Amino acid sequence: MDKLLTMSALRRVIQLTAFVFFVYGATIFTTFYTGDKLTQNLPALSCAYDMKGGDFCTLIPLQHQMDHRVSGLFTQNAKLMEALLPTLITIGTVAALILVLNKAFCGWLCPLGFFQEVITMIGTKLGLTQITALGRETVLKIRPIKWFIFLFLVLIFPILTGIGLLGHEWGAPFCAICPSRIMTTLATGDMAQVYVSEAGWGYFALSLIADLLFGLMVALALFVRQPFCRICPILPMQTLFKKIGLLRLVKNGSSHCDGCGHCVKACPMDIYEIQEVAANHDITHSDCTLCGRCIEFCPQDGVMNFKYGPLTLHSSSKQGFKKRLKIDKWWKG
Amino acid sequence: MKKILTPLLLTLSLYGGQPLHWAPHHCDTGNRAASKHGGHGGSEKTMFSLMNGEKEGVARLILPDLSTEELNISHAIVTLPKTQMGGYAALVVNQRTGTGVNSAIRYLSLHGRPVKISPTKLTSLPKAVLEIVPAPLHREHDRYTGSKEYRFLLTFQGEPLPHTPLILETNNKTSQTYTSDEKGVFAITLPNDFKNVKPGRSENKPSEFLLTATLKDSGLHYQSTLSMPYYANPNDYWQSQQMGAIAIFFGFIGGLLIYRRTTSKGVKRG
Repeated sequence: MDKLLTMSALRRVIQLTAFVFFVYGATIFTTFYTGDKLTQNLPALSCAYDMKGGDFCTLIPLQHQMDHRVSGLFTQNAKLMEALLPTLITIGTVAALILVLNKAFCGWLCPLGFFQEVITMIGTKLGLTQITALGRETVLKIRPIKWFIFLFLVLIFPILTGIGLLGHEWGAPFCAICPSRIMTTLATGDMAQVYVSEAGWGYFALSLIADLLFGLMVALALFVRQPFCRICPILPMQTLFKKIGLLRLVKNGSSHCDGCGHCVKACPMDIYEIQEVAANHDITHSDCTLCGRCIEFCPQDGVMNFKYGPLTLHSSSKQGFKKRLKIDKWWKG
Repeated sequence: MKKILTPLLLTLSLYGGQPLHWAPHHCDTGNRAASKHGGHGGSEKTMFSLMNGEKEGVARLILPDLSTEELNISHAIVTLPKTQMGGYAALVVNQRTGTGVNSAIRYLSLHGRPVKISPTKLTSLPKAVLEIVPAPLHREHDRYTGSKEYRFLLTFQGEPLPHTPLILETNNKTSQTYTSDEKGVFAITLPNDFKNVKPGRSENKPSEFLLTATLKDSGLHYQSTLSMPYYANPNDYWQSQQMGAIAIFFGFIGGLLIYRRTTSKGVKRG
């Protein structure tokens, strides 16, 4: 039994528990109503369209606030505080959550992240060739997409909708294309979110993109790790506050790290920067989901560390590396 | 004149001589801009007509924080007071008749600062001797929608009332009868009975449904209604679920083509 006790095993248990809570939690832990959800501002893609969910993503209130409140600054001469207060509350809640768990919301709690990991496990078991690392150039090309989505689909388009320059379909455009909306509702047996709308070109385009993106994500996840996470707008939002996060990835590789690259191979987000030499330095990258695989797969004692404030929660070790490698070989057959 | 008379005559023809219930006042169009959304409360009407009851009297508005305000019924109309509170409220009237009590309840979504009290407390708060309780009410930012199933609980003196018939009627002329189960619960599927539906949520006005329960107990006659708006289901009209499933399939195929291309190029693999 001890052979299976790894951080990945612990993470899977927590991910599964979080999936049950965030997708079905209203039937057990909270209630059906929005007002009874845990935070209503989760920095992870747990969808508000899932009526049985225990909590939902912060991006839906944020888009609505841009559309209905912040836009008032330009159209109704709304008072500054009146227009910004809901957004400040939303951002403040997200900041408080990130203070507690930082980017671990992605690697440990996000239902869509877990879903993609399960699909990848299925792909591995089906014998599909796994692309363990995308090329550095490809990664660098993909990275700006999440910022584009965050700036335009979460912030700018909803504001333009509120001003009246765009149609109502652009009021929450990220939700309109988000694969979590389809995944979480399907997981509850609700087929209502699988559709192509004929209400106008904007609705048609967004609904078509959503369906194509969902199908594409499922297929890609069979052989590429975390395909949607790489463009998820939650990452930029978390990045804004990651400096205050108590949980962080710290590299202390001044004397021991020989740049073997195991950490990069282990990283599901292909963050090449973690391979670089760092002495007791916070290396939590904007793409990092704090999954901890780099710690597990680091063959050196104490080089990669999970720290919570001043406390070291977990460190890399030769013994841990060997154990993890053995499990990985067993899993991949 | 025609605009005023048509809905009035329609309502009278449907519910004339029928149970006491609340209906939106025909002069009140609500907040047009907010009506495009799924129930932010800004679209809530401020005037309601009490149909088939005493034209003068007092109604109660139970606010989201569960405090109560008395509203004067004047010429069978009540006007909601301005409130800064956001969340669900209940418009309630209980009128004594010579043989019992008639009750009418309607839930409203008020726009304002959200109150930290669960809507479950509002719905479970006893409002009438015989009461139809949404179990649950549609969620905030959502709306009652055709072709979807909703559950309700029938209570009498605060206790579940089993095996009792209820009638569902809509402004679109649908009428169906249901019976509560042994726990007093009944599920209804709101009918897909909209006519001349145009593509787009903002292009279609809601209709009204009315649930009516009647009970005779100890020689007294109780009747209670719950009236709410409901909307056309987009998936019945301007959204194609088949096309959605086909699009997902094509997205999946696209992903498999990428797989074929990348693996044939000999990229780094595990």
